[in-house]
Amino acid sequence: MNLLRRLGAEPVTSRKARTTLILALILIPAAFVVLVPYLWMFTTSLKVRGTTGLPPFLFPNAFEFGNYLKAWQAAPFLRYYLNTTIVAVAIIASRVVLASLAAYAFAFLRFPGRNLLFLLFLGTMMIPFQATIIPSYLIIRDLQWFNTFQALIVPRMVDAFSIFLLRQAFISIPRDYLDAARLDGCSHWQALWKVVVPLNSSSVVTMGLFAFLFAWNDYLWPLLVANSEQMRTIQLGLQVFAGRYQTEWTYMMAGTVTATLLPLILFLAAQRSFISGLTRSGLKG
Amino acid sequence: MQVRSAGFHNWFTRLCRSDISTALLFLLPSLVILGVFNFYPIAGIFRLSFFKWDNLAPVKTFIGLDNFIRLFQSERFWNSLKVTAEYTLVVTAVSLLLGLVLAVFLNNRMLLGKSFWRSMFFLPVVTPTVAAAMVWILLFNPGFGLVNVVLRALGLDGLNWLADKTWALPTVMSLGIWRRLGFTLILYLAALQSLSKEYYESAEIDGANALQRFLHITVPLLRSTTIMLIILGVIDSFLVFDQVMVLTRGGPDDATEVIGMFMYLNSFSLFKLGYGAAISVVMFVVVAIFTLMQWRFVGFGSAEEAE
Repeated sequence: MNLLRRLGAEPVTSRKARTTLILALILIPAAFVVLVPYLWMFTTSLKVRGTTGLPPFLFPNAFEFGNYLKAWQAAPFLRYYLNTTIVAVAIIASRVVLASLAAYAFAFLRFPGRNLLFLLFLGTMMIPFQATIIPSYLIIRDLQWFNTFQALIVPRMVDAFSIFLLRQAFISIPRDYLDAARLDGCSHWQALWKVVVPLNSSSVVTMGLFAFLFAWNDYLWPLLVANSEQMRTIQLGLQVFAGRYQTEWTYMMAGTVTATLLPLILFLAAQRSFISGLTRSGLKG
Repeated sequence: MQVRSAGFHNWFTRLCRSDISTALLFLLPSLVILGVFNFYPIAGIFRLSFFKWDNLAPVKTFIGLDNFIRLFQSERFWNSLKVTAEYTLVVTAVSLLLGLVLAVFLNNRMLLGKSFWRSMFFLPVVTPTVAAAMVWILLFNPGFGLVNVVLRALGLDGLNWLADKTWALPTVMSLGIWRRLGFTLILYLAALQSLSKEYYESAEIDGANALQRFLHITVPLLRSTTIMLIILGVIDSFLVFDQVMVLTRGGPDDATEVIGMFMYLNSFSLFKLGYGAAISVVMFVVVAIFTLMQWRFVGFGSAEEAE
């Protein structure tokens, strides 16, 4: 408050200084509010057990890394990590292959009914996952796939959004590249993997990142079809762990940090890809 | 006969010259997956909604529209629609407004470290919902949660937020807004960056102040982005589930029972699958309408898109 009054009282010489000040006064508190949950999470996860209710709240003064060890011993977080990684890698790999194939067919191949089929594929984007969950659950039950990796992977192997994202990228490359490859005797398969996909690698990476986030954050589907201790993925594992240690806040936050860190790091490392993919997809479908 | 066979012949040669066999091969895996886990299930819920089928019993009983009649007479269903509508309205409106205001500030030429700020505000979007909900449970803890600590420091009484019939829903909304803000901010920022500077320069010459420029130039020019964000926001909020499941399971009583939660409880706690399917049909219809609106709006399926 004092600082404010002093700054206000001083003659503001340039307009630039005033603008910078206003921006700082608005953005710093706003960012602070958005980031408080992370600060609180980290600080609590490093506190001595039983001191959760005592300050400091935002920046740690104790560093009990033992909390993490305790959390990992209390619940098989390594197992959850492994399960989630297997599911995520399988989903990413299959989406890269299957969505690329379908996108290539829609972008470059000529066949009767292409536009109709493309519309039909896009139509699945208006079907919310929750609306189809009962029949999907029954399919998994009939296949006796409860608590298997197939149950978590197969229904997610491809989706219309990925196909759409890649198809939009594919049609923007010059047709000549493809024709040249075809004239050189490339099959469609070779043209796809040697010409089209390398030219659109950034879109493929973006699609893969979205697939990773999806797999890492997934909750409702694993809850229904793979809720055994051996098969749980990370978010489900976290919730079960939290239910068991409800009042052990330091351990609970250690577990939460464990379940949060990877997507945050990945985002910060690849934010350009994320954000460009989001603006493109958000504006078009 | 002659003509028809010639026509068929033509059609057949065209088919042979087309890439039909390659296309089939390339599309087959996707067709199978989408068919089994999208098209078949969506047909499935319509079919199942005409049956009474409890607890996975061996026999399903055909009851016509009874599930829908019971649904539309159920107070709990209307309550879930009301709760979902409130959640959708507040989360969409607040995240749009804050996102727009912050985007305008982030778009200022004099701001240093633009991408740093952008990342900070975007972090919640990539944070897992379940993990964020865990932090929310702690933040809103009646005893030592940060929210109550701050309130007490200001001389106010804290609340038991998530157990309070009036405040549970706003608490769930606050998580929704926190997670949605970065998304609206990014899309508004992208739209702002594509606006021509000329509009602003002439307005500045006319002596319009910052607020006037914002209201009379920025807001109207961003109209299409706003409409799209509203539609996307409505679809996203209408389907809210994870954070409700972790934070309140729909409680206290049914104060936070959104339609996704209502469907889940009927289908997978009570195992009334026919009734659950009827709720799914309602959810599908609402989302489909809004998706079609969005597609119409961005010109999906128009001539430009088809080719």
